[in-house]
Amino acid sequence: MNDFLSLLPLLIISSGAILLMLLAAFEKNRLETAAYLSMGVFAVAFFVQLLIGCGPATTLFNDVFNGMLVASNFTHAAGLIILACGFFTTMTTHSYFKVNTFCTLEFYATMMFGACGMLLLTLSQELITAFISLEIMSLAIYVLVGYDRSNIKAAEAVLKYLMLGAFAGSFFTMGTALIYGGVKSTKFIEIGAFCADNSATSPLLIGGAFFIFVALLFKAAAFPFHAWVVDVYDGASTPVTGFMATALKTAIFTVFANFLSQNSGLHGSWVTFLFYISVLTMFGGNLIAIGQNNLKRMLAASGIVHSGYLLIALVAISTEHFTGSVIAYYLAAYAAGTLGMFAALAYLGGESEKRSTFDDFKGLAKVRPYSAAAITVFLLSMAGIPPTAGFMGKFYVITSAISADQMALAVLGIVSSILSMWYYLRLIINMYFHEATESFETQGSLFATACTFILVFCVFAIGIYPIII
Amino acid sequence: MFEYALSVMIFLPILAGLMLFLFPFSGGASRITGFIVSIVVLLLGIELFLGFSGTGAMEYVESRSWIESLGIRYSLGVDGISLLVLMAGTILFPMVFTIFSTRTKGYYANLLIIQGAMIGAICATDMVLFYIFWEIMLLPVFFMIGIYGGANRLPATLKITLYTISGSLLMLAALVYVGVSFHDQFGRWTFDIVELSNLQLSGGYAVLAFFMFMIAFAIKIPLFPFHTWLPDAYTEAPSSTTFVLSAIMAKIGVYGVIRFVVPVFEIELARFAILLSLAGVVGMMYCGLAAIAQKDMKRMLAFSSASHMGIIALGVFCINVQALTGCLFQIAAHATSTGVLFLFIGLMEERMQTRNIADFGGIAYRAPIFATFFAIAMLASVGLPGTSGFIGEFLIILGAIKFSGFIGFLAGTSLIIGVCYMLWMFQRVFFEKPGEDTEKFKDLTIPEALTFLPVILLIIGMGIFPQPFLKKIEPTAQLHIAEVSVMTKTVLADNAPPIALDTHQKN
Repeated sequence: MNDFLSLLPLLIISSGAILLMLLAAFEKNRLETAAYLSMGVFAVAFFVQLLIGCGPATTLFNDVFNGMLVASNFTHAAGLIILACGFFTTMTTHSYFKVNTFCTLEFYATMMFGACGMLLLTLSQELITAFISLEIMSLAIYVLVGYDRSNIKAAEAVLKYLMLGAFAGSFFTMGTALIYGGVKSTKFIEIGAFCADNSATSPLLIGGAFFIFVALLFKAAAFPFHAWVVDVYDGASTPVTGFMATALKTAIFTVFANFLSQNSGLHGSWVTFLFYISVLTMFGGNLIAIGQNNLKRMLAASGIVHSGYLLIALVAISTEHFTGSVIAYYLAAYAAGTLGMFAALAYLGGESEKRSTFDDFKGLAKVRPYSAAAITVFLLSMAGIPPTAGFMGKFYVITSAISADQMALAVLGIVSSILSMWYYLRLIINMYFHEATESFETQGSLFATACTFILVFCVFAIGIYPIII
Repeated sequence: MFEYALSVMIFLPILAGLMLFLFPFSGGASRITGFIVSIVVLLLGIELFLGFSGTGAMEYVESRSWIESLGIRYSLGVDGISLLVLMAGTILFPMVFTIFSTRTKGYYANLLIIQGAMIGAICATDMVLFYIFWEIMLLPVFFMIGIYGGANRLPATLKITLYTISGSLLMLAALVYVGVSFHDQFGRWTFDIVELSNLQLSGGYAVLAFFMFMIAFAIKIPLFPFHTWLPDAYTEAPSSTTFVLSAIMAKIGVYGVIRFVVPVFEIELARFAILLSLAGVVGMMYCGLAAIAQKDMKRMLAFSSASHMGIIALGVFCINVQALTGCLFQIAAHATSTGVLFLFIGLMEERMQTRNIADFGGIAYRAPIFATFFAIAMLASVGLPGTSGFIGEFLIILGAIKFSGFIGFLAGTSLIIGVCYMLWMFQRVFFEKPGEDTEKFKDLTIPEALTFLPVILLIIGMGIFPQPFLKKIEPTAQLHIAEVSVMTKTVLADNAPPIALDTHQKN
């Protein structure tokens, strides 16, 4: 029964998605209804996830699924983050489609299917399951990215993402095959056991793990697989970008950490590799972000930098007492800031996202002081200034890095966040220190405003009462 | 109620500031709110000062668990080190609200938040809590300079923000390193400063962490060669912000060194004391000389403030009781004198629309009360006997000579530079021939004079009768040095012969 409860949020979301898909067949239904319905489904799933709680790691339905799915505190937290992301994104979407008109009912259904894939991905402890859930998630995201078929930028984005994503998917299968060749199993736990008995450095295992890392790093937008990020984030509609940047990253890093934490040999043999990847990701991301004039592109690049910080946490995880709390906390903090930022952008962006560059937001504080204040809070959280959630997240990441004897990585992480101050401050300066040139009128709905202010509250609440799982 | 005095002093201004932001207040209403809140904080501060027993230990302690998994606590307290800094942060603030009367609500709200955050940083005895307030302190300054500053405010804002944020992020890394080392040595997490002083740190990482801390504080103080943001920021900032930056925030930098660096990194501090005190002395001379050459009064005062911060910082690096006591005393003395001077210049700028020294002249004939007040504050800043500035500087020089004759000699002589630029400026601005514009210069109005009077009296009082203040800070200074000196002496003893040997060989 407990196993069933652990899967319940996933079931709620998937049945909600199917229901919406069926409803979409009837022309009578309005978009508003669909938005309310999916908000409700996400909210219910979130509260179910919150209420069930979770003890130590349990294998779900071991007889039926044969150890494919494992729920733990870590996956529980990741699930919460994903469901919250889904909920807030729906709120944002509702407002976004008041001014943009390419929405149909299937949009919401697709988003829920994506969330299903993500939830399943966090639970999966087996490579083929991981692959299937990865693809469920990716297919939904491909569709969402290219939803505005008349927009040439969206078409470009979806093509880039689809082609490269397909490559990543095939790398993942390739890696799975190689690992199966070496270990004779695709279960994480048996891969770990194999590494403990033999070594993690047999050629098949190295090759297989490498291919899997390539696929995961691609999805996580890490250097050198980051080239797609800026264009795809820019081309996708703003709420979708927010959803990708937060929920998808949460799912990927959860499965990544679950895979790496199986065995110290496996983790140990890849630490150096991940060290360099994380350093390059942070600095590469910063270099890209500093040069951007478009806000969404800047946020995309800053997302790359945040992946770098998360990789620091991955380098520093302890394989003996793996709790994933640092990663989960950082993801939650990052999600609150980023989602809020995208919600504000979706609200203020106006028709077909006409306000999109740094200069377009000049003088916002003079006309809309509350919006500007909210955006400032989100930016400060992303930059890691106390007392926001972003600061505590960074604090935990640095603490875990130094505890794991990775002083160099901690210092480089700090240097990178100094660099990142530049582009976060730039927007604040534009908003506050210039005179307004327009009146920032928008027809967005109340939901976006509500969502923004709930998230401001979250940023402070998570920062001041850091609940460690 | 009074057991939570510190929390009230921190959060009352912050909450009032946030409230002003959130609800539509007029400028005048926010000014009155700010004034009332700062008066309440002042009263609490005076109460606290009178009730302070000066045993050397932490008083008014508040401590509760906050983030258990990392041993971070919400713990506050006041001892001799923080007492006078705290007083500077409470006594001077109401003046800002009475003098600058025509600003918008954001201006007053930001000031309130700065005050709360500064008191938080001064009272925090947990390193992480201190860091959090330390960073919050910067944000209102950023907005104040950026929104209400002078013509070149944007570059100045960016400069001060990037400088200080880089420093504080480096400090964050060092702070985490200290916490993790404590966990390695004692098997539990804590960031409490009293416990952390038991830490034994050695090796390359300790030196690195020491320098990270020192750079963060050196930027805030500012210590040569990290002072380059200061002239721009002080000049472009609105007068109240310059006042806050110079009178209190810079002092929190020195306070941070005394509170957090001295007990934890005693060995490294002893090892690099000569280097750091040289930085202090060089900064003193360099900024003093630069001040002589300035044409803009505010910029001159900015350099003068940096120059005086050099000697205050020197007081810490000498690591003996005289210098430390002098330093703690001088923190309060300099806060009152420089703070008041910056406010005076703000007033002059409001009346004359210029800060150019050449545009003034003969003000003393038009505004005798103003000139008298200005002269007293200026002489205190120069360190004339009978004013508060003398006691502190005298003790510091005494300590410096004890520490190293050469450093003491340099510090003593460069005090003369201070006299040069100050008196010369005073001559050009207040005497000489009155210019056309200065004819119309109004003297202080009665409310203005009444606002400044207590502080002017305090300056003289601290100079003539320093004992009540010294009595409260000395026990802590002695304890603080006693903890350090055992360790330091051994290190200095280890280090001294090789240095002597080196010079011998070179000769």
